[in-house]
Amino acid sequence: MKNGRTGIGRIAAASLPVLTIVGFIAIWELMVRARGIAPIYLPAPSSIAVYLWRMVADGTMAYHLGVTLARIFAGFALAAVAGIALGLLMGMSRTIARVADVWIAALYPLPKISLIPLLIIWLGTGEAYKIVISAVTAFFPIVISTYAGIRQSDRGLVKAAKDLGASPQQIQFKVVIPAAIPSIFAGLQLGMGVTIILVVAAEMIGGSSQGGMGYLLIMAGQVMETEKVFASLVVLAVMGAVIIKLQQWTDRKLAPWVGLRDDH
Amino acid sequence: MDVVVENVSRVFGGQGRAAGVVALDRVSHRFRSRRFACILGPSGCGKSTLIQIVGGIEPASGGTIRIEDPQDGARHPLGAHSVMVWQNLNLFPWRSVIDNVAFGLEMRGVARAARYDRARALIASVGLRGFENHLPGQLSGGMRQRVALARALIMERPILLMDEPFAALDAQTKIVMQEELLRIFDRTHKTVLFVTHAIEEAILLGDEVVVMTARPGQVKEVIAVDLPRPRALDMVGSRDFGALFDRIFRLIRDEVMKAMQQQAAMAGAG
Repeated sequence: MKNGRTGIGRIAAASLPVLTIVGFIAIWELMVRARGIAPIYLPAPSSIAVYLWRMVADGTMAYHLGVTLARIFAGFALAAVAGIALGLLMGMSRTIARVADVWIAALYPLPKISLIPLLIIWLGTGEAYKIVISAVTAFFPIVISTYAGIRQSDRGLVKAAKDLGASPQQIQFKVVIPAAIPSIFAGLQLGMGVTIILVVAAEMIGGSSQGGMGYLLIMAGQVMETEKVFASLVVLAVMGAVIIKLQQWTDRKLAPWVGLRDDH
Repeated sequence: MDVVVENVSRVFGGQGRAAGVVALDRVSHRFRSRRFACILGPSGCGKSTLIQIVGGIEPASGGTIRIEDPQDGARHPLGAHSVMVWQNLNLFPWRSVIDNVAFGLEMRGVARAARYDRARALIASVGLRGFENHLPGQLSGGMRQRVALARALIMERPILLMDEPFAALDAQTKIVMQEELLRIFDRTHKTVLFVTHAIEEAILLGDEVVVMTARPGQVKEVIAVDLPRPRALDMVGSRDFGALFDRIFRLIRDEVMKAMQQQAAMAGAG
């Protein structure tokens, strides 16, 4: 009897988040219908779903989503390679760290979005500008986390490795860098978050006709196709969630020891 | 290998005009080859610092350490003939058990097949067969302790430095590990320097107990433990054991009180 109740309780607890979403959509639908709100201000979920289905069926959504994803991964890959490389170099050389520190301190607090006008002057409104703006933004959290991971590596592990006969170079590659991996992954997750934001923002500002979810949003907004705006937002939200979950899953596969009980 | 410690001091901090904290104050002792020495003292008496200096891991502020061959008197560099088992183990959390144990051989450039063979044998000898591919974080405290021991033993160095290795274990696991260590010592007869703050443990394991004072750490007295080997846990109940315990307890009690007053004073000042 008691077991049965806790079983039901568990199911209820697990389905609660889903129920809130279903409830929210239901209330939204009812409100729009009861009050007769114009779709141009707030379309009903059911009509958003119809638009979403049409955009999926005619391939519009797949095209724009594909374009945006390609830009996100290009920007992220650039930022990841450059950020990890510089972070590791800073960890290995005091001179590099001292020089890079000044640049990072000066440039990190600058809102990267404010570079958009300059980048459009230099690079035009094509692919290069969208990838560069997202890569530059993602670069900072990645380089900072990588360097912090190297600097905060466990002194005890370094001493133990030295005691077991590791050379300074072996300590760097076999101990310090692996020990920094959790911090590097945390930086990559932050970097991915800002890459998504910056790519979509750049697509909205560029005023270019080169597609992408940001472009789709701004175009639908300008002609007041509010259903399309909502449909695009739904796709963007799902895309972001899937990317972040995939990244967490990859991190767990690549570094299964992270989050296990510590040895200390 | 004999470990000859002469007038070794260690001062922490204290640059410029500020007086540093004296952790060790002119400590002298000859740790004899193939003997098991326990270093006993209140917390903060510098006993961990002492064996880290012997292992060449921490520098001394003064005095000398000699690693001496008792046969020909030849001297060896610090650290080359010793290996440390750490209080907090310091296992590499991203390396599997076998890669932790084989770490020293890998650094030495031993080929994978050869080092794995050796590591597998050691893992089996500490009772961890079947756990070669587990990560340290997947093991219990006692099992991780065995990994740390195997990782040190694979180095085949004649001096084993142990810094309160069993302090974090529960009482039952601690007993099992003490017996395991006694068995290993009976088989290998390494020169062991074992830091502890448990009197019973020091008597059960050691051929001698080096009792240290509260900070600044000095050697207060050296007590020979002439209980027969192989040692067994039931010796703890014997009359000889009890007499040694009383004697060491009386030596250490004053020092523990002193250490507690020091800590209270520091807490008040901070």
